Amino acid sequence: MHAAERLVNLTIALLEARRPMTFDELRRRTRYYPQPEHATARRMFERDKELLRSLGVPIRTEQAYGMEEPGYRIDRREYELRDLHLEPDEVTALALAAELVAPAELALALAKVSARGPDPDPDVVPAARLPLDVTAVDGAAAVVVERRRVRFPYRTADGREEPREVEPYGVVRRRRAWYLVGRDVARDGLRGFRLDRMTGPLEAVGEAGAFEVPDGLDLAAVVSGPEARPVAVDLEVTPEGVRDVVARGGRDVGPGAHGTRVMRVEGLDRVRDLAWLLAISPEAAVLGPPEVRDDVAHGLHRVVEAHAEVPS
Amino acid sequence: MSRVPDVVRMLTLVPWLLERPGASIAEIAAAFATTEEAIRTELDHLDYCGLPGLGGGDLIDVRILGDTVVVGMADELRRPMRTTPAETLRLLLAASQAERMLGPAAGALTRAVAKLRAALGVPEDAVVVVEPEAGDLVEELRAAVVAGRRVRISYRGRGDTTAVDRDLDPWRLELHDGAWYLHAHDHGAGAARIFRLDRAAALRVTEQPVTVPVPAELEAPRYVPGPEDPEVEVLLGPGGTWLLDAVTVAPEATGAAPGGRTARFRVGAPEWFARLILMAGGHAEVRDPSGMRTLVHRRALAGLERLERSSGAASGTSDA
Repeated sequence: MHAAERLVNLTIALLEARRPMTFDELRRRTRYYPQPEHATARRMFERDKELLRSLGVPIRTEQAYGMEEPGYRIDRREYELRDLHLEPDEVTALALAAELVAPAELALALAKVSARGPDPDPDVVPAARLPLDVTAVDGAAAVVVERRRVRFPYRTADGREEPREVEPYGVVRRRRAWYLVGRDVARDGLRGFRLDRMTGPLEAVGEAGAFEVPDGLDLAAVVSGPEARPVAVDLEVTPEGVRDVVARGGRDVGPGAHGTRVMRVEGLDRVRDLAWLLAISPEAAVLGPPEVRDDVAHGLHRVVEAHAEVPS
Repeated sequence: MSRVPDVVRMLTLVPWLLERPGASIAEIAAAFATTEEAIRTELDHLDYCGLPGLGGGDLIDVRILGDTVVVGMADELRRPMRTTPAETLRLLLAASQAERMLGPAAGALTRAVAKLRAALGVPEDAVVVVEPEAGDLVEELRAAVVAGRRVRISYRGRGDTTAVDRDLDPWRLELHDGAWYLHAHDHGAGAARIFRLDRAAALRVTEQPVTVPVPAELEAPRYVPGPEDPEVEVLLGPGGTWLLDAVTVAPEATGAAPGGRTARFRVGAPEWFARLILMAGGHAEVRDPSGMRTLVHRRALAGLERLERSSGAASGTSDA
């Protein structure tokens, strides 16, 4: 019997079993493990069982009363995905999201959740591509979904490696980095941990459902660093600079000196948006706030100094 | 892909096909994002699967008539397997990543995600994707792509000192390395072009339908330096190494240097590169050629001069 057939058949047999089946029962009542040597057959069964578990098939090991050997079965309620009752537009939206982001990596998951639902609208145009490596967080998925505490070795910003124990609340993708966000147990505080600084595998500890995710938690805020205070910056803009400023949401405030316009850009970050203000400085002078004006002047002085002389 | 049958796909094919009697092999392959050959192989194997026991009547009945498939006698697999935690999180990530781009379909996606979370017991905030906001421009362009309308954008390319109007047949938007790009046919240039949207400003969607169809393959947005582009050497201080990530031009070479590291780039658009050096605020220094040094120096002086000439009245506010 082909391995794939044996694995599907084992799944069906354990799903249909009314009580846990021992290996010997399985071997007697099916033809799946016909090797004459008991130990050889047993090894093959063990491999099959572990493979199926790794694929997500929930095979339970149970020691029934009066039985010498452990028995195995699959609880249908644990195995089956209950009906989601997705509407046609909901399936279409999910399929479109998968198409935009990572079609190959999402196809099977999408087929599972929509198997008993309607088909997506075939005429939807995928107008964009938003590729994202959705498999990057596979290793952290189980502990997040099952709400299990987790331990991992972590390289801190100053290069030391330290163990961490965390109640993982979720994952965040920000500025091309993945973070696991949760409560750091030892420090009793909300922290974000970069996945690329975890120097070893995540190890689940303890029971599933071990904690609740706090209400109203803003995961993204945890990894956005020190609280950013948006500032509105006023700029004196030459005609050549107007389009750049408009592209950043700048609004006209009124005329400035020498044929310029005064424009206001709301919601800028003093640290993060300094680079943009420096880039447009030949066409747009910061009028205020004064501290932003000083930042730009300081940055420009440094550029001038660095480029003033012919390098040695 | 490999020709090894995928066991989970086989277990999923059964309930999927029970709901879709007469589905074609091509439809199935498309829905499962695999080849028709893989689907045929797996259906062949499924025909030998079923309940334990020896009677043929307990086997799953797989009938392939020409190109259509009917599955029966498979009540034991009437429902699909639950998605694994990894699959669940992948779906939620994709939904989170895509929701800003779905326009009117975003509401349906939100409802679908709520049903997924409820069925799979996923905590409310388990996934967040934070990427640059899709601004109005992205939203309007998306609508133009869907409607198949020609657009006019005002665009400042690498080589341009000011923005220039361009008439485009918009093909597809793409988020690449944290920035939005538009693939389009540029009628002015008579060729396919890629536009980085943070260099575009005004947009007008015309009534004209697009005339140049989307090619089967679209290149990834990446600047390929020409061999005649001059090489520039930059010294990067500790606060300037982000430049290596920010530039879509791969450096030709990098090396250690006193006070930081050096990188050599081929630069086709000096004005654009000078802006980039300004952005580093002194953490990046052009070493060579002297013409590029002079340009950066001149641009920084121009910025300072404009700053000093401006009134500098204390205006602007914190709007926290």
